Amino acid sequence: MPIEIPKDKWPGSIKAVTIGATAAEGGTRAKSITIGGQNTMPYLQFEKPTPNTPVIAIEIKSRKPEDWSPLLEKPWGEAMADPAEWAKKAEAAGADLLVLALTLEDTPDSAVKTVKAVLAASGLPLVVWGPGQAEKDNELLVPVAEAAKGEKVVLGVCEDKNYRTIVATAMANGHLVEARTPMDVNLAKQLNILISDMGLPMDRIVMDPTTGALGYGIEYGYSVMERLRLAALQGDAMTQLPMMVTPGFEAWKAKESKVGEGVPEAWGDWEARAVNWETLTAMALVESGADVVVLRHPESVKRVKAAIGELMAA
Amino acid sequence: MDHSITFTTADGSTRSVTVPTGVMLAEAAQRAGVEINQPCGGQGRCGRCAVQVAKGEVRRRSTLRLSAEDVDAGWALACQSVVEGDADILVPEQEKIERRLTTDRTAAEVQVPAGYDYAADQTVRRVTLSLSQPNMDDQTDDWSRLQTALRLQAGIENLTVSLPLLRRIGAVLREGDWTVSAVVDSAGNRLVELEPGHRSPDEPLWGVAIDIGTTTVSVWLVDLVSGQVRAQVAEYNGQIARGEDVISRIIYASKNGGEAEMRSRVLDTINSLVERACKRVKGAEPGQIVKAAISGNSTMIHLLLGIPAASIRLTPFITAINTIPTMNAREVGLVINPEGVVDCLPGVASYVGADITAGVLSSGLDDADNTTLFIDVGTNGEIVLGSREFLVTCACSAGPAFEGAGVLHGMRATGGAIEEVWINGETFEPTCRVIGGGKPSGLCGSGLISLLAEMFLTGVLDKAGNVNLTLPTPRVRQGEHGPEYVVAWGSETEDGRDISITRVDVDNLLRAKAAIYAGFSVLADNVGMPLEMVEQVLVGGSFGKYINVEKAVQIGLLPDIEWNRFQFLGNTSVRGAYLGLLNKDSRQRIDDIAGKMTYIELSADNSFYDAFMSAMFLPHTDMDKFPSVAAALNKP
Amino acid sequence: MALSGIQIYKLLPQTNCKECGFPTCLAFAMKLAAKQVELSTCPYVTEESKTQLAESSAPPIRLVALKAGTEVKAGNEVVLFRHEKTFYNKPGIFVRFKASDSGIAAKAAAAHAYSVNYVGMDFVVDGFAIEADGDLGAAVKAVRGATDRPLVLIGDAAAIEPGLQACSGETVLIHAADASNWEAMAALAAKYKAALAVKADTLDGLVDLIEKIKAKGVEDLVLDFDTTQLGKWLAMSTQVRRLAIKQNFRALGYPVFAPAYAAADEGIFAAEAIAKYAGFVVLDKFVPENVYPLLVLRENIYTDPQKPIQVQPGIYEINSPKPEDPVLITTNFSITYFAVANEVEGSGLPAWLVVTDAEGMSVLTAWAAGKFDAERIAKAVKGFDVASKVSKKRVVLPGHVAVLSGELEEELPDWEIRVGPREAVDLPAFMKQALN
Repeated sequence: MPIEIPKDKWPGSIKAVTIGATAAEGGTRAKSITIGGQNTMPYLQFEKPTPNTPVIAIEIKSRKPEDWSPLLEKPWGEAMADPAEWAKKAEAAGADLLVLALTLEDTPDSAVKTVKAVLAASGLPLVVWGPGQAEKDNELLVPVAEAAKGEKVVLGVCEDKNYRTIVATAMANGHLVEARTPMDVNLAKQLNILISDMGLPMDRIVMDPTTGALGYGIEYGYSVMERLRLAALQGDAMTQLPMMVTPGFEAWKAKESKVGEGVPEAWGDWEARAVNWETLTAMALVESGADVVVLRHPESVKRVKAAIGELMAA
Repeated sequence: MDHSITFTTADGSTRSVTVPTGVMLAEAAQRAGVEINQPCGGQGRCGRCAVQVAKGEVRRRSTLRLSAEDVDAGWALACQSVVEGDADILVPEQEKIERRLTTDRTAAEVQVPAGYDYAADQTVRRVTLSLSQPNMDDQTDDWSRLQTALRLQAGIENLTVSLPLLRRIGAVLREGDWTVSAVVDSAGNRLVELEPGHRSPDEPLWGVAIDIGTTTVSVWLVDLVSGQVRAQVAEYNGQIARGEDVISRIIYASKNGGEAEMRSRVLDTINSLVERACKRVKGAEPGQIVKAAISGNSTMIHLLLGIPAASIRLTPFITAINTIPTMNAREVGLVINPEGVVDCLPGVASYVGADITAGVLSSGLDDADNTTLFIDVGTNGEIVLGSREFLVTCACSAGPAFEGAGVLHGMRATGGAIEEVWINGETFEPTCRVIGGGKPSGLCGSGLISLLAEMFLTGVLDKAGNVNLTLPTPRVRQGEHGPEYVVAWGSETEDGRDISITRVDVDNLLRAKAAIYAGFSVLADNVGMPLEMVEQVLVGGSFGKYINVEKAVQIGLLPDIEWNRFQFLGNTSVRGAYLGLLNKDSRQRIDDIAGKMTYIELSADNSFYDAFMSAMFLPHTDMDKFPSVAAALNKP
Repeated sequence: MALSGIQIYKLLPQTNCKECGFPTCLAFAMKLAAKQVELSTCPYVTEESKTQLAESSAPPIRLVALKAGTEVKAGNEVVLFRHEKTFYNKPGIFVRFKASDSGIAAKAAAAHAYSVNYVGMDFVVDGFAIEADGDLGAAVKAVRGATDRPLVLIGDAAAIEPGLQACSGETVLIHAADASNWEAMAALAAKYKAALAVKADTLDGLVDLIEKIKAKGVEDLVLDFDTTQLGKWLAMSTQVRRLAIKQNFRALGYPVFAPAYAAADEGIFAAEAIAKYAGFVVLDKFVPENVYPLLVLRENIYTDPQKPIQVQPGIYEINSPKPEDPVLITTNFSITYFAVANEVEGSGLPAWLVVTDAEGMSVLTAWAAGKFDAERIAKAVKGFDVASKVSKKRVVLPGHVAVLSGELEEELPDWEIRVGPREAVDLPAFMKQALN
């Protein structure tokens, strides 16, 4: 007697979220991307096909970053000093989405100028991060949101102590927000509730439950993502959002990637190890339910993209 | 179409008004010139506008705060009821409404347990003896003479006696001209007191039931003959000056001389309370108190007795002693009769002490047919789940916020404390009820719960507890301690300063309620029992008498189940001590409870932490667990 | 299905006799439910209860152990997701050699010698696979000269047998029985008491083979899905785990073999295999920069999630601090760390954050339990050599442990001790106002 394949039937699904708007949709993107929509644990196509392919974002900065590993300067080179050039190179490297990180040196004017330049240089949908300080984030993101009105940009990041201003400007200008919480299922859900209580529709929120790098707490991020996905499938509306995580940022912070000298011989070749660190961090998160992974090295992009392709093809 | 509405007020006067279909009763009343208070601004949340429909019918949009029986009896919320036909409306006196909404959920006054029989149940008793006078032929010594009288006249044998009392015997016998009253502890076979002369059998024999809470100490003065509680007094524990929580106190005690200081601080508190209680009762004096039953958490008992408590806080959390032998007041340091019997009730573990075993006794949980949850809300929240078949317990650190401590304008539930608050959802103006009715001087636990619920429901707080500073009212402001909401302006308060609640206070309250909610939900999980299957919830704690269930549910302190499954017991620890003080069978039951209670350590895995984080939200991250609150929020 | 504490309690005598060493029967029942104590500890349990309890505790996935000088175990797992309890037996990571390779002994010696330290633990390669593309007997001997760790032998029955003869007395995994060769492989496994990998690309195919092989008396089986396609492998591995755990389907209750050596991107496939239920992972070759991340990933995924969430104790740099910037102290409970780090990071103020080993407890809990006291803080400050990084010898204590400042002054005599705010949210203001 043939075995009955055990299939879970879930009452809930992840919301499909569309980032970026084409001319027809009121923006200027070459195409928009849609993520989410799943009704199964990651890539269990035998239960139900995964409706939207998870995507890869490449992180670029408004100014040449001082603290990035020299290994990252090799592939990006001079383009790192010019966000528009960088954006083009990232697109060529296989990015589906761009993450533009503003810095503390930015002024509202320079931020708007950079965002416009990046939007002009590449047709990819865009995520814009403030520099990560509440006041500065609000100061920069509001004019950016106004300048990019209609583009369906993802504005980040909203945190539990600073979400009102960013959510308000996202609502006023037709954008999305990234809701970031520190590796806890409940905190993630709570921030989604706070944001949706302000009236932003759920399909304009992408949640970032945060992760650690391989060796630096990835297991917490991994399990939080699995738990969020399970809760969503079980019907918890406040967790039914696509997830965006930053394995590139985390992995390139790790000593294993950052440092080439004075490390144990057992760690092996620096460059190959560094790319492995980012790739495996991303891969584990893809397996636990990431819809967007933000990466830094083109080789990692290539490998993770191929893996997602294989997972989607089954 | 127009309808005629007639209002009859408490003084019997009537006023009529004609209004069209669709007008709210509250508005009709206003047009008729009848005043109905609406502290919540007509949002159907406070229930203070309840009126009774005597004739005709109205359409009730919402009956929140009214039970099905209330509605059957014609009650309706004036602000939520629409006129659709002629009607006669009774407007009750405002005060009565208030009482009607709260009294049915409060504990009754202390009643003497049914069938209390001093002679059969009590371990100490007083007997009057007439001794034969000594003479040259009968040169029996005083002590033997007394023993003989005890044996022949009261059937008491083999008593022991302390040296100080022995020193007084001769004088007492002669002063009473060989008629004396002896107080005897039959459990310890010890002579406790000897007084000259004859005593009436009805004359009170004094005992005290004491609960040493981390934050509050309570003392009940009890007449052991009638069983009646004659005075109840409470005060903050004097140890607070050396730390708000048990851990600080243990650490303080374990350092240079701290143990002696902690002991004397709590003794000072108890002794002054005993004195205060005696002053309230004519003829009672501390020196006449012959028995004390003491309840309290394990740390409090250790500190009272001067037993090192350091091991309580360190893994694997071991007490020096759980079951404490009976002692006399002199050695313990209680200023009552120095020979008085001091009975410290037994605990179970470091964080489940006598307060809980006594609490379980007074709640009757150990004899319940149905699965019952008992929550003792104190600085340490202790929780017991079970029935006659089993008892499991856990403890969680809630902090002293619900006792009014650790909150900027917090205070105990005494005169001047704001015990209930309503906030108008449009103007954000509060209305407060103050204990004793005078000017407010602070907020007590029930006031804080009520305030938190109102701030949340009116949007003064978001669900994470952030104060919304963008509201158009001067009551929300950036204060000295961060964002805050002003509950009473200085011009309205007792001491002339503003009474406010700060973001930090809110955090403390959230933590306290989250710890308790997480505690009982994890305990229920541990034994595989969904909360909905709990058939009865008993709530104890020093504020338990005054708590408003609806608001406690709205902030997520108590589970959202039918209100009739809740029962509020007040301070169950002191009540358990009282029962143990009176009746030796009850006292035995406390020992049995301690023996069969299973303690669950919440820190064994992550489930408590998860449950805690989930509860650190208003009312809870999982709104499905709070359908009635969701309904209240979704109202237009 | 595993029984809950209350269900087990009902099968116990309920006398609270304390002879088992627990205060009540219920306490004992809950320990039993958590599999932390043996039922035999109760002297009074009835035979009937014993039978009932034994049934509920049989593992749904067979434990398969490969043994030589060391041992590699797989199976006995009880959950689908690590947060539900934990994953117990880390998948063995093996490196494959070829029998035809003349340098096999040297390669084995190098791989055997490999050891890498990760947060105080030394990781090694667990065992080795040898593909029988040449004289396997000689190859096994050569490898055995270099290492005593367990072996996997890959090839057909005839080629494998000399290898098995060369390592008799060990428990080897032989790979693999399929529809065409199962009889010979089963006979070999039975003869040499080897574990046997069973290969088919459908669950029905696997069950069919397993039934036949079990009939030949071979019990220690390992499943190979005959694919390295990521999506298909994930689906089959998930189905097998689900059948075993949720339906107690014993016919497929065996550990899973992951042939990473055959995958297009070995690292990626091995990562999926580690995350998704593999019992044995075999890599194509020994390359440290590939092996190290996989060993770390395995450690992370198999960390017990019920233990408090911790961050690595150490000194953390926030916003690129300079020597004159302040030194803040906190514990290694991850939420506490994040609260502090995020507040300071968000403020843009540079600082050194010293994270002490408080066994994963928050400031107050650790202090209460004696895991965050002056002695431990001083040890961290000295151990992480904070003095060499800063010009101003001053540390900021969390406000909740203000009480420790006096003792800390004694422990760190040449340091200035400052008491900071109780809540992380107040740190930036404190740093701006009080620390200048």
